[in-house]
Amino acid sequence: MTSSTIRSGAGDHAVADPGSPAPRRGDGLAALAFLTPSIITFLVFVLAPTVGVLVLSFYNWNLLSDGTFTGFDNFVRLLHDGRLLGVYGSTAYMALVILAVNVALGLLLAVLLETRMPRWLRGLFRLSFLFPFVVSASAVALIWRFLLNKDLGLVNYLLGLLGADRIDWLGSSAFAPVSVIVVNSWKTIGFSILVYIAGLQSIPKELREAAIVDGAGAWTRFWRITFPLLSPTVFFLVVINTINSFQIFAEPRVLTQGGPGDSSRTIVEYLYDRAFGDFDLGYASAIGITFAMVLVLLTAIQFWFSRRWTFYS
Amino acid sequence: MNIPYRKVALVCATAVLTAAALTSCGSGTDSSSSPASSGGKTLDIAYWNYGPAAESGNKATADAFMAKHPGVKVTLTPVSGENWGTYYANVATLIASGKHPDLMVISGEGAQFVHANNLVLPINSYVDKDPEAKTLLADIAQGLINGFTVKGDIVTLTWGWNDMVVYYNTAVFKKAGIAPPTADWTWDDFKATAKKLTKDTNGDGKPDQYGFTWASNEIFPGIMPWVANAGGNLTSDDVCTATADTPQVNKAVGFLKGLIDEGIAPAPMPMADVFTRFQNGQVAMFGAGRWPIATFLPKFKDFDIQLYPKGDTYKTVFGGAGYPILKSSQNPDLAWEYQKFTVSNEIEEKYVGTPEKPGDSIPSRRSLAQTISKVGVPPLNSDLFYDSIDKYPTLVPYPAPAKYSTFESTVLRYLQKIFAGESSVADGLKGMQSELTSIVTC
Repeated sequence: MTSSTIRSGAGDHAVADPGSPAPRRGDGLAALAFLTPSIITFLVFVLAPTVGVLVLSFYNWNLLSDGTFTGFDNFVRLLHDGRLLGVYGSTAYMALVILAVNVALGLLLAVLLETRMPRWLRGLFRLSFLFPFVVSASAVALIWRFLLNKDLGLVNYLLGLLGADRIDWLGSSAFAPVSVIVVNSWKTIGFSILVYIAGLQSIPKELREAAIVDGAGAWTRFWRITFPLLSPTVFFLVVINTINSFQIFAEPRVLTQGGPGDSSRTIVEYLYDRAFGDFDLGYASAIGITFAMVLVLLTAIQFWFSRRWTFYS
Repeated sequence: MNIPYRKVALVCATAVLTAAALTSCGSGTDSSSSPASSGGKTLDIAYWNYGPAAESGNKATADAFMAKHPGVKVTLTPVSGENWGTYYANVATLIASGKHPDLMVISGEGAQFVHANNLVLPINSYVDKDPEAKTLLADIAQGLINGFTVKGDIVTLTWGWNDMVVYYNTAVFKKAGIAPPTADWTWDDFKATAKKLTKDTNGDGKPDQYGFTWASNEIFPGIMPWVANAGGNLTSDDVCTATADTPQVNKAVGFLKGLIDEGIAPAPMPMADVFTRFQNGQVAMFGAGRWPIATFLPKFKDFDIQLYPKGDTYKTVFGGAGYPILKSSQNPDLAWEYQKFTVSNEIEEKYVGTPEKPGDSIPSRRSLAQTISKVGVPPLNSDLFYDSIDKYPTLVPYPAPAKYSTFESTVLRYLQKIFAGESSVADGLKGMQSELTSIVTC
């Protein structure tokens, strides 16, 4: 009997998959009770603000006076904003490098951490990589700001011992985004490593052992066995890190204040300044809506491409 | 219907937990800030919670007021913010969410903002009617009253203020064998002094002790004193027009850029970092108001202050703070009493402070400010703070247009490029002026 015949010919109790316990009276109520906290949280903290931002994007509102409906004016302004494209550019530059570092370097470090080593050393390494992830981004950035000071910072002092000139890590357009990339990557790579390690540990040892018996070298084992089986993990990290890296705020805010100029400014920082510096909530909302659309588009592209290289066993 | 008891219990428990979570969420954000519902009158006051000193200071004032006015309940609403600009934004958010404080703490930067947004109840009528107000005002420097007067409306009485002075590390000066600066020093004297204080102490061929630095993240203790002493300002006196590319501003910013180029000043850094570098001797001089003293004392005492060096002129750059009454106040008369109370002897003495716990602003009342040196609160030159506004009549109120936050971020954005050497002083200021034209308006 096919499942379609079950569905078409039976009542409520017959819809379940074969093998699953049949639903009982009151199950729906219990399910609703369990889901209610999440539903309410979602409605109050996700859906309502999202709808609010969408509505606000059609208004001119400064928080203090009554807003006025302006139709698509805020979206038209986006096209004439002389700084917006530059800020998108600096955001994309920093985000893509952070993404690459997290996905590639994170994988390398995770694989290294899974090699043979004393247990205490492995624990120490894991703790070292994960620790920055659990510390406040602002606190981390404050310390790095001190270390990266051009003339009085420890980093340039150490480089100076090697004979290097002082680098203006926070004050030059070339190096300010690099500093943001380094600090954010240092902070976030622990999460990627953690997820990779979980992925690596879920790969059956027998497969690698069989490959060793068949004479496969380390490189072949990695590309032919480990990486394909790890591809869903890689995909997950690509998606998560893309979204997170495009949304960085604390590091550029504390390290460089987005400067010099807009060289290390991110869209989220720009949006924040329009909303809470200029009190231009409508325009900030329009930036937010379009930025969300960009992220959705990027994620959709990633999902589309993932079908070509992601292997689900 | 036959619903098992366990399921009913489960549903109820989940509902209770959900309700509890939402309730705690709603009240947890500011349980301390819900207006009191006692039979007496209430006052709700929003203040910038920049640190423990702000919290304890506001609480002490509120407690003292309640002790003097039994039946009045004062509720404090701490509002976060990385600077005054973001604090105003967060207060605006608070008001937009339906909360209506009776008073809010503002600095001079906020006077135009609250006035332009029609938030504030001017106190002119109270000042005219209340004899006590006249006595208080006579003890407050006229500059501080003018600084909070917008289009003839007195926005608030000022309880505390700051003027920009140069802090110098006395231990570093002594070690270098340099005499402390005097009030009549010039830009040339300053530069020569800063040059002597710049040193390579570890012998790596590069300086690691600098003569001077300034805050990269604020205009007030950053470029403003230099701009004022070059005879300029970033806006017109009525704060309606930007004047950022005048020869005077060019001269001031060029002077500071020269300090970096000559290796006398390090790359500019935010104020918090300046404090640390100054205390550990890596920076011998910097500029600020009285507020660093609360950070330095009681541990660090090797410092003193002097007026900014004279350029083409000398002008005192200053800014104050007060508790304006908001138009939304349900008890404006009581709010006025509170505002007066913030400049009473009892409260102003707290801003004088003690050597162990100094105030972080200069009291607005002359008679109280003059006691700072008498009670022994460092630095030795503390009398300079009030003298600078009383004895140097040429004053420059800190330029604070209604769109202050945008104004400050725009100025700082261009300065970053200038001080990083990525834009010439002239081109940078020209760009700044062009952008400020639409921001500084009336």
